Amino acid sequence: MAVLDIVNLRLYYKTLRGTVRAVERVSYRVEPGEALGIVGESGCGKTSMANAIMRTLPSNVEVYDGHVIVDGHDVVRMSEEEVRRKIRWRKVSMVFQGAMNALNPVIRVGLQVAEPLIIHEGMDKREALEIAREKLKLVGLPPEVSDRYPHELSGGMKQRVVIAMALVMNPKLVILDEPTSALDVSIQAQIMNLLKKLKREMGLSMIFITHDIALASDLSDRIAVMYAGQVVEIGSAEQVLLEPKHPYTQKLLAATPRLRADITPEFIPGAPPDLASPPQGCRFHPRCPYVMDRCRREEPPDFEVDGGRYVKCWLYGEEG
Amino acid sequence: MSVGRDALREFWASKVSKMGVALLVLLVVVSVYVVLTYPLDFGLRYWNNPAYWADNPKAVPPEWWNLFTDKKLPPHVIKDFHEPSDVRDQRGRRILEYVYSFDFQYDEFPSFLSISLNNVTFSSRRPPRVEIFLDRPDNISVRLLRFTVTGPRPGEEAPYFRYVEAPNRVRITGDKNVFSALSAMLKKYYGLSIRPSEVGEIGAEKVAFGEPSGDGFKVLRGRYVLRAVVTGYDEDVDVGMLRMVVGGRVYGFSGTDTLGRDLAVGLLFGFPIALLIGFLTSTVTTIIGAITGVISGYMGGKVDTGIQRLSDIILNIPLLPILIFFTFVLGTEIPRLWVIIAILIAFSWPSLTIVVRPMVLQIRESQFVEAAVAIGAPRLWIMFRHIFPQVAPFVFAQLIFFTPSAILAEAALSFLGLGDPSMPTWGQILETGFRSGGVYIGYWWWVLPPGLLIVFAAITFVLIALGLEPVVNPRLRRMK
Repeated sequence: MAVLDIVNLRLYYKTLRGTVRAVERVSYRVEPGEALGIVGESGCGKTSMANAIMRTLPSNVEVYDGHVIVDGHDVVRMSEEEVRRKIRWRKVSMVFQGAMNALNPVIRVGLQVAEPLIIHEGMDKREALEIAREKLKLVGLPPEVSDRYPHELSGGMKQRVVIAMALVMNPKLVILDEPTSALDVSIQAQIMNLLKKLKREMGLSMIFITHDIALASDLSDRIAVMYAGQVVEIGSAEQVLLEPKHPYTQKLLAATPRLRADITPEFIPGAPPDLASPPQGCRFHPRCPYVMDRCRREEPPDFEVDGGRYVKCWLYGEEG
Repeated sequence: MSVGRDALREFWASKVSKMGVALLVLLVVVSVYVVLTYPLDFGLRYWNNPAYWADNPKAVPPEWWNLFTDKKLPPHVIKDFHEPSDVRDQRGRRILEYVYSFDFQYDEFPSFLSISLNNVTFSSRRPPRVEIFLDRPDNISVRLLRFTVTGPRPGEEAPYFRYVEAPNRVRITGDKNVFSALSAMLKKYYGLSIRPSEVGEIGAEKVAFGEPSGDGFKVLRGRYVLRAVVTGYDEDVDVGMLRMVVGGRVYGFSGTDTLGRDLAVGLLFGFPIALLIGFLTSTVTTIIGAITGVISGYMGGKVDTGIQRLSDIILNIPLLPILIFFTFVLGTEIPRLWVIIAILIAFSWPSLTIVVRPMVLQIRESQFVEAAVAIGAPRLWIMFRHIFPQVAPFVFAQLIFFTPSAILAEAALSFLGLGDPSMPTWGQILETGFRSGGVYIGYWWWVLPPGLLIVFAAITFVLIALGLEPVVNPRLRRMK
C-alpha cells in the first residue's frame, strides 16, 4: 500500500486579485521506501502542496478538495483535530524550508526535538529528552547539543536538529521542503549524505521538494516536475532527467548549467503564468515551442508514456 | 539559562537599577516587618479607634523637630505603674502611693495631664478613694483632684472588680474640679482671683506648670512630683495598673494627627498596603493583558475582534469617574481596597492587550510557529510554549511599569476620600491631613511624609523600569 496517495488535489487561495489556483488537480503516489523529488520554479505550488498534505493551511483557503490518503486516512476529509492528533508528525513529518527559523529561539534544542513526544505520546520531559538525544545522535550531533539554544548552533547543525525533529516520532513519510536551500555547498553535501543514509537505513519515504534538479536527482527515485500548480511530468529519475518528455522539463533541463559540457544554458521565453488567471488549455502553451491549436483550447490529461511515466502534454496524446 | 543570566547582568550593570533594587528591598523589608508585627485588623481595631490613641498628644510634630527649633518642646511621657511606689497601713486603711518625679526644663507647657486606672480590686463596701497631687518646684503642693472608685452595686459580692475592660481615664487638665483646685491655688499663693471657668479658658496645664507673668503664664521650670494616692478601706485593695501621662509637645518619629494617632505607625502600615496594591494590581493586570493579547493575536477572527472591541470600549471609559462610581456603589459590601484593586485591574488590562496583540501577529507568522503547528501541537500549547516566551520580556517590563501607576491611582482615590476606611494608606493619611486643614495650620509632619512615601514607592519602580529598559528594548527592537 502506498504511503501517500494523492488524487485530484486542488488548493485555491482567496486573495484580493481573485482566486489563486496554487495546486490544480494533482495526483501521485509515494510507495514505501521511495523518495519522490518535486522540482519546479519558485511559486509553482511546491510548498503549497506540502502544506496541503499536512493540512497546515493559511486562513485564506478557498478550495481544498481531492484526496490526500495517508495510511488509509483521507486528510482532506478529516476534522482539524483528527489531523492534528493522527496525521501530523505521527504519519507525516516535515523538514522546513529555512531550518534556521523553524526553531524557537527561546527553547532549548533538545526540548524542541522532544516536543512532539510530549504532545502526542504524553511522555514526561525526561523520557522524551532521552529519545531526542538518541535522534540527535542519529543525525550526527553530539547529545550535548540538546541543552543548547538555537543561536548557539551553526546553520548545518540547526538543519540536522530539524531533521532529528522530523524523525522523532518515526513517521512513515518525511516531507523535505528545500532542506538545503540556506546552506553552503559543503554543508549541503553533508546533509544530502545524511538524508541518503537515513533513507537507506530507516526505509523512510520522502518527498523532496527543491528547485535544484541536480539535488533532486541525487536523492530521488522518482521525480515530479511541477509547473503552475500542476504536475506536468512524473516518472523515474532516470527517465525524467535523461529523456525528458514534457517541453517544460526539456526546457528546464536545458536551462541547467553544466560544469563539463560546452553548452550555453538556454532560457525559457516568457514568464510563469499568474496563478490567479492561468492561461486556458495547457498552462504552458504561451511559452511552449511545440504549441498547437489544441493546447490553447483544451487542457491535456496525463498520458502514460513508457511504463509508469505520465506526461501532461498533447504531444503524447496521439501515441497513447 | 544563559539568556536570562546575560539579561540579569545587563540589568545589574546600571546604577539606576541598583538604586531601584535597593529601594525595593527597603520597601519589602519594611513591609515584611509590618506584616509580621501588626495585627491584620490593625485598621479597625487600632487606627480608627480613638480610645487607643487617647493617651497621645494631638497634632504635635515629631521629636526630632526639637533639633530645628529654638524652643525646647517637652516630649511625651507615659509612666506606667504596675506596683505602687509606697504602701502604708494607717488606721485600718491601706494607702497605695504612686509617685512620679520629673525635671521639667522646657520652653513650652505640657499639652495635657492625665491618669488612668486599670483593674481596681477591693472588698470593703466602702470603695477606695483616689487623690492626685502635684508638687511644684516653688514648693506649692496642690491636690488637683479627688474621686472615688464606683462602689458596690446592691447584691454584688466582694471582691469587687472595677475598670477591667476599659481603663478609667481621667483627663486632669480638662476636669472642672481641677480648675477649682487651681483657682484656689492661685488665690492662696499668688493673690490672684481667677474663676475656675477662666482657668479652663487659659488652660489648666498652663496654670499647673506655670507662674503668672504679666498678662499670662510662663513656664515654671524645675522638679515636679506627680502623686496619686489610692486609699482603700480593706487589705485587698489593689490597682492593676496606674498610668500617668504628661502630654508632650513633640511625639515619636512622625508626630501625631489631630486624633493623637501616631503617624509613624500609620505610615509604616502603608508600606505593605502600597506594595499589595501595586503588585497585585500590576500582576493580575499583566497576566490578563498578556493572555488576552496572545489569544487575540493568535486565534484571530471573531475572538480577536471581540477582545479588541472590548478593549477599545474599556480603554475609552474614563477611569477616575468609574472608580468613584464603583467605590460608592460597591464600597459598603466588600472592603473598598479590593473594590479599588478589582476596578484598576478591570480597566487597565486592555492597554497591554492591544500592545501584545500586534507582537503576536508577527510572531504567529514566524516559521517556528508554523513548525509547531505542523508538529501537531495544540493551539494552547503553541500560544503558551512558543508565543508567550517571545513576548515575556516585554510583558515583564510592563508589570514593573504598571506598579507605580496602581499605587498612585489608589493614593489619588484615597485623596478624594474614596479610600478604604478600614485601613490607613498613605493617600488616606494625606487626605485626612488636608481635610482637617492640617496644611493651612502648618502640620507639615502630617502631609509631607505620606506624600514623600508615595513618591518614594513610585520612584522605586520607575528606577527598576529604567534599569530594565536596556535589557528589554533590544528584544523589542528585534521583534519589530
